[in-house]
Formats: sequence, C-alpha cells, structure tokens
Amino acid sequence: MRRYIRNLDWILIWTILLLSVTGMVLIASATHGDALVTGQNRFVQRQGLFLLADVLLAIGIISLDYHSLKRIALPLYGFTVLLLLGVMFFGHATLGAQRWIQIGPVTFQPSEFSKAFMIVCLAAFLDERSEYLEQWKDYLPACLFMLIPFFLVLRQPDLGTALVFAAIAFSMFWVCGFKVRWIAVLTGVFVFAAPVLWQFLHEYQRNRIRVFLDPELDPYGAGYHVIQSKIAIGSGMLWGKGWMQGTQSQLDFLPENHTDFIFAVAGEEFGFVGAIFILLLYMILIWRGMTIALNAEDRFGTLLATGITGMYLFHVLVNVGMTIGIMPVTGVPLPFLSYGVSSLTTNMLLAGVLLNINVRHTRLQF
Amino acid sequence: MLNHTSGDRLKKMLAAALAVFVVLGGRLAWLQLYKGLYYGKQADGNRMRSAVIMAPRGRIMDVHGKVLADSSPGYVLSLQAGHSFSDAEVNLLARLLAMQPDAIRKKAEQAAGTYEQIVVKSELTPQEITSLEEHLKDLPGISLNLQPMRHYLYGMTAAHVLGYVGEVSEEQIKQGKYKGLSPGSIVGKEGLEFVYDAVLRGQTGRRTEEVDVRGRVVRELAGQAPVSGKGLVLTLDFALQQDLERVLDKQMAALRTSGIAPNAYGAAAVAMDPNTGAVRALVSRPGYDPNWFVGGISTTHWKLINENVFHPLTNKVINGEYPAGSTFKVVTGSAALDKHKVTPEELIFDSGKHWLADMGNAGGEALGWINFQTAFAMSDNVYFYEMGRRAGIENLNAYAAQYGFGRPTGIELAGESSGLIAGPSAKKKVFNEDWTLGDTFNAAIGQGLTLVTPIQICQMLAAVAADGVIHPPYLVEKIVNADGSVYETPKRPQSRKLELESRTVQLIQKGLKGVTQPGGTGAWFAGLPVPVAGKTGTAENPHGQDHGWFIAYAPAEKPDLVIACIVEQGTYGATASGPVVYEVLEDYLTGKLKAERK
Repeated sequence: MRRYIRNLDWILIWTILLLSVTGMVLIASATHGDALVTGQNRFVQRQGLFLLADVLLAIGIISLDYHSLKRIALPLYGFTVLLLLGVMFFGHATLGAQRWIQIGPVTFQPSEFSKAFMIVCLAAFLDERSEYLEQWKDYLPACLFMLIPFFLVLRQPDLGTALVFAAIAFSMFWVCGFKVRWIAVLTGVFVFAAPVLWQFLHEYQRNRIRVFLDPELDPYGAGYHVIQSKIAIGSGMLWGKGWMQGTQSQLDFLPENHTDFIFAVAGEEFGFVGAIFILLLYMILIWRGMTIALNAEDRFGTLLATGITGMYLFHVLVNVGMTIGIMPVTGVPLPFLSYGVSSLTTNMLLAGVLLNINVRHTRLQF
Repeated sequence: MLNHTSGDRLKKMLAAALAVFVVLGGRLAWLQLYKGLYYGKQADGNRMRSAVIMAPRGRIMDVHGKVLADSSPGYVLSLQAGHSFSDAEVNLLARLLAMQPDAIRKKAEQAAGTYEQIVVKSELTPQEITSLEEHLKDLPGISLNLQPMRHYLYGMTAAHVLGYVGEVSEEQIKQGKYKGLSPGSIVGKEGLEFVYDAVLRGQTGRRTEEVDVRGRVVRELAGQAPVSGKGLVLTLDFALQQDLERVLDKQMAALRTSGIAPNAYGAAAVAMDPNTGAVRALVSRPGYDPNWFVGGISTTHWKLINENVFHPLTNKVINGEYPAGSTFKVVTGSAALDKHKVTPEELIFDSGKHWLADMGNAGGEALGWINFQTAFAMSDNVYFYEMGRRAGIENLNAYAAQYGFGRPTGIELAGESSGLIAGPSAKKKVFNEDWTLGDTFNAAIGQGLTLVTPIQICQMLAAVAADGVIHPPYLVEKIVNADGSVYETPKRPQSRKLELESRTVQLIQKGLKGVTQPGGTGAWFAGLPVPVAGKTGTAENPHGQDHGWFIAYAPAEKPDLVIACIVEQGTYGATASGPVVYEVLEDYLTGKLKAERK
C-alpha cells in the first residue's frame, strides 16, 4: 500500500485536479446567466457532484489491478456494441443527433463511455496479437474490430466520437510499429476516397466543413459558432476581460459556451495568459501519460496508456482547434473542462487507469 | 515489457504532441495578441447598439402663438447597425411595409456598413406596428422606437409657407450644409422648414446600449440627450390665412362650376402689412398636405402631386411669373406723373383706340375725354398707352425697378423668382427683334414681356399704401426657445423710400381709391364697411384664358393690410379675384377674424 502511494504520479493527479477545478470556474461563468434566471447553479452543482463521485471512482480503479481489465475485454466489447445499439433504438435526440440515453433522472452519453471501453478492448486485442504485427495485413483484424463501434457512432450521427475511435486506434497502432509508409498509403487512399466519403456525410456535417474553410459563407448559420468563438478568444487579448466579464460569453453571443466552447470562455475572460496556462496543463497531462506508457511494466499497460493519452491529445487538438478556427466544428468536448458528466466520468475513469498503470511502473524516463 | 521500437515511437508521439501545442499556442497568440484589438471591436459591435435620438423639431406658430407645426412621438422602424440582412428578411420587411424590396435593400446595405441604425420608415401606422411586432422574431435586425415626428396641425393650411420635412439624402450629407447628420435624419425640404432647418432641427442625441444576443437591452451605456430645436413665430395670422384659403377655394370652385373659367385650378394670394412688410397670409393653389411627406410619401400621394399639371408643390406667390396686367398702371402712372409728363387735370381723348397704333381697350369701348383719375378708376388702356409713350420705356422700367420688380423681394423662402422687366435689350435678346412703340404701349398696361410675381405686386401696392416706402415682405417674426422666450430676431432687409414726389404717391392712392368707388372697375367694393383702395388686372395668357388679378389695401386711409390675388385662367380680374379680395376684406374689416381667434 505504501509503495502504491509513493508510486502514484502526483504531478498527473494535481494537473487533473487543477484542470477540473478550472473547468468548474469556467462553467460557473458560462452558466452565470442561467443561474441568475433559475436561482440555482445547477450546472456547477451537477458537475461538482460528479467530480467528487468520479474522484472516488478513480481511487477505486487505482486500487484494482489493471491486468484484470484484460480478462473483461471481450465481454466489454460486447457490452459496448450493445450500448451503442441501445442508443440507436432508445436514445433521444438533441441537436439533430441521437446521443443520449436516460436512466432514471440521469441522462448520459454512451458514446463518451464507449471511448474508454474501446481503449481497453483494443489494447487487449492488440496485446494478444503483438507478436504477429509484422505486415500491414496483420492490422486488418484490429481494424475490423474497431469498425463495428465506429460505424455505430457514425450512425448516431456522431462524427466526432468516430474520429476519436480512429485516433485511439491509430495511436496504439503507431506504438505497435505501424509503418510510416503505410500511413502515407492510407492518406493517399483517403484523399482519393474523400469525394465518396463526402456523399456519406450529413448535410450539416458538410456545412461544418464548408464553413470551416470559410466561416463567412454563413455567418449567422453554420459559421456562427466559429466566428463568435474567435471573437470571444481574440477580444480577450493578453489578460482577458475578467471572470464573468466576458461580453461574448455573458451576453450569449457565444453558443454552447459551457460545453464544447468552454475554451473560448477561458480565452475571453482570462486572455492569452489564461489560455496558455490551460494548454500547459494539457501538455503536462500528455507528457505524464506518455511517460506512463513508456514506463508501463508490460505491453498491455503501454497500449492502454498510449490509447488514453492519444485520446486526450486528440480531444484537446480538435476542441481547442475548433474554438480558434483551425479545426472544423465537431462535438468533441475538452477533457475535464467542458460541462458534461459522461465526459467527465469517462476521463476520470481513464485517468484512474493511467495512475493504476503507473503504480507498477519500471523506472524509465524520457 | 516494452521493446525498443515502442519507446522510440512514444518519444516521436510526444514530439508530435509538442508540435500540436506549439501550433495551438501560436494561433492563440495570433488571435489574442496580434488581432486582439480587431476582435475587441467585433465583440463591442456585437454587444453595443448605438441609436440616434431625434431631437423634437421646433414648433412653428402664427403671430398670435397658434401652433401650426409641432412634433409628437411616432413609431419609427430602423435597421440595426452592423446587421447583415438576408434576402428573406428584406422581402418580408418590404411586404410588411408595402415598400419596394430594392429600397429596403439599399438601406440594409447602409446599415451593414455603419455603427448607427438606419431609419426605414417613420410614422408607422398601428397596423404596421402590429404586423412588425408579430414578425419581430424573424427580423432580428430591426428595432421599433418612438421618435418625435413632424405634425402639421392644419394640413394644407399655409403649406407653401411651412414647407415639409423629409429624410436627408446621401448627397446632402456629402455637401456642407448637412454635414455630420446621420443617415435617416429628418431635415426641412421646402418652405420655412428648409430655410430655417438649422434652427428648427435641434441636435440629435445618442443612446448607447448593451444588448444580449436576442437584442434585449442589458444596460444603458453613455449617451447624449437630444437638444430640441428652436421655434419660429411667424408673421402669419392664422385666422386670415385660413379665411383667404377658404374664400379662394370657394371662388375657384365657383368659377369652374359656373363655366366662366373651367380651368381655374391655379392661384396665388398674399396679404401683408404695408407698414412693416409682415406677411399675414400666403396661399398657393393647388395645395398639398405636408403631412403626406412625413415618414416618406406614399405612392398614392406622390401621384396626386406629381401628376397634377397645375404643380401643387410650386409656391406660385413667389414662383408664379405673370404679366402684371392693369395693376402695372400703378407703375406707368407713377412714371408719367412723377416725370411731369401729364398733369392730373389734363384730358386725353379715348376714341376706342390710340391714334398712333391700332391698339385699344380690351372691350373696345371708348371713354372720350378723360383725366388720370377717371382713366385709372376705369382702367382705360388708351390713356395709359399715351402715358407710356410720354414717359418712354426707359422711365417705365426705371420706375418698375424702383417698385422692386425684376428682382426677388427677399422673403425668407428659397428659390424666389425675379420676374422680368422687359425693355429693348430684353426683346432683342429673347426674340431678336427691335423695340416698337407697340411694345411700349403693351408695357404701359402690363402686357407683353414683363413678368411679375404676386409677392412683387403685393410689395408694390404696399409701397403705395405706406406712402412710398417699401417694407420688404418677411415671414419670421422671431425665433423662440422651447419656453417661448425670444432667442433671436432675424435680421430683415432694410426698408427703403421710393424716389417719388409725395404728390405722385397721393395721386396714385387717389386713383386706387377711385377704382373701388362707383364708376370704378371694382365699384362694388364700396359696399365694404370702410373705403378701400384697389386695382383690377387681367394678364393676357396665350395658352388659355386670361389670368385675373385683384390687388387692394384697406382701409383706404391708414391701411394695415394689402392683398394681392391672381387666379390663373380665371378671366377678368374683377371676375376672378375681385370676389376673393372682397370677402376676405369684409371678414377682416368687420372684425370677424378677430372674433374667430377668440
């Protein structure tokens, strides 16, 4: 037990706690108007409540042995597929996508949890076959393994989560030795297939890509979010307008400001300094995650940690990139910062797994 | 355990992650540090809405303080600055307001490019307000505000004096006079509204509000209160003005229906105090209602004005140019008497035509041996041909100039016509013909090339009534503050004494008095409670029936009112305008108008 506590990655713990608290501060500001109207800080309360519960959950996970995850990988895969099928049939739609399932008073987003589940499943799947991953063909079973949940989330439609699956798979493949040459070929195939894939996109998704290329195409429609987000962040300048003083956030010019566009609130109210501070925290998070992957006592641990870190990184890149106008708009939340209890719980769960891997590390450093 | 490849690959992955953060941080620096001010402005443009508060336009009152033009609140629809309007929005607005989509699109383009809202339509009707409010959700870029609106309390009454207001045009803003006005500002377009615009307009205020994304006002930011315009107290006497309009309209209708003058639609009449030049009433016909122009004129009203061949917008008192007809005998008589070309006693034989030219009286009658008094009272042409011949065209023109013809009187209305004093050089220039004796004859009785405006004729008669002093006509008595105190008394043109022997003026006065006594062309004016002086005139009109003049001052002794009236195509002066002047003088002299005022 002492060894466990000594071996805990305290930098990672503090980073995650700091990010979560920052998230609470930003959510409080973003939902300030709602609090004034309803008389209660329901978003902050809910997020806070789940944060406490999730910390306990993470502690519980640390005390287990992550190797036991390998044993439940196959049933977990089946469960994930069922879960995603469940969304398709029982989920209810918001904003044009079927993403939510309600159980009692709690609505949650199965696609968020499925990210964590798929990291575990894929890590176990690749770990089994790690000796045979020599040829590009050797990766085909793993690809097929991922494709089923991939298409299920794509059907919701949730392009963001589908891309997260791809990112998770890619980061693990990479660590397994996926060759650069194959990546080049894949990229070529993708470019060729792009016009075909375009046909499969929903109109709103196409519009998001169109306005990503030129937001002024539809300044009051699909381009609105990005334009307002850029205005919010840009107008924050060096020091920001101050907590709860952001005109874009407080006067509702910035939509979805407590969820997907929370980073814009940070940029507006705390300026360049605040935004860079948050990016630094994420950098530490990624650095710790990679270090844990490197130091993991076995291949399964490395794969798990890589998948988790890759997922975090992809979320940060896509979400922050979206708010500053260098990525198209996809519904990918910012880990630990965006309001959303499914996302928070998933991220905390994974953080618990990361810490668990680290507890049994062999000392290696970058 | 980890093999070597995996460790290497993880390091590469971390390097890629670092690159991602460098890109994100760099982009943040670009947005927040380099472009920060630009986005700051955009954020302010989002949340700040600046609105112009129109200043209430100053009141216009008659000489007794009766309000003729006022400002009262009306609903104004404006487009918010910086909002870009979709085609659907433009078309919806056009439909709700029954306006042309193109007109709205132009305004919308203006609005998109400025920081101030643009007025689309003012003086909204209750129906328009209701339908706009119903569609407020579909039209996020509009706002409905109460703004002071011009109201002309008596419609057409004194329209040509008051003028009307309208939106300042882009060209006007570019020119100097309206510099600094925001688009959509209301300015005077005609009449005193135009001339005294700077006085009446006041200073527009400004309101800056912080709004949320739904356009709800969150709080008021700094602003500037409007300063209301100054008021004008006019010389007009509302009771007289109204009476003159009523009587003139009645008379013209009678002329038309009786068949005497079926085309009697145009007319001008002006009344002034000969002792000061204060204009007491000014009428031009056909008229219009200046309220039509408030908030943009409707197509129906514009057609009504534009398609009327008698030009309702033209102020015929200052812009109508007519031959003076026999009213010009005041000038001819003055010239001949003052130059001692004739004595009042000298008898001249009227055989029906002048012995040097085949030109006679209008009706062909022959009056025999007559002196100045008789000739003037009966408006004998042959006598005045002879007067013209004796005085010579140069003298006739010199006296015409003395009486103020050939140049504007200087009344405070824009674009006053000069009229024309015709002489040999003018004829040469216009017709390339030499001046003949016949031309002098025509000039002597006010026909031919010489043209006068009603205000000039009125000024001429006023000069005779005031014993040879010209007090140029004016309309604005004083400029007053909102509380009624005098702000400024406008400078008036100098009065000037005619260079006439006083005997000449007395003889003319005597002649004018004779007109309204038995034997004169206006004999029935003797029926008025006190003697008055006057003159008929018939202006030949090659394009239709003659224009009929009647000019008069009252009372004959110590006059305080001069009236000049002309009815276009109204035939003889005595027939066309005489009854108008008679009835108004009757109302005036019996004190009926004073009673109405109380």
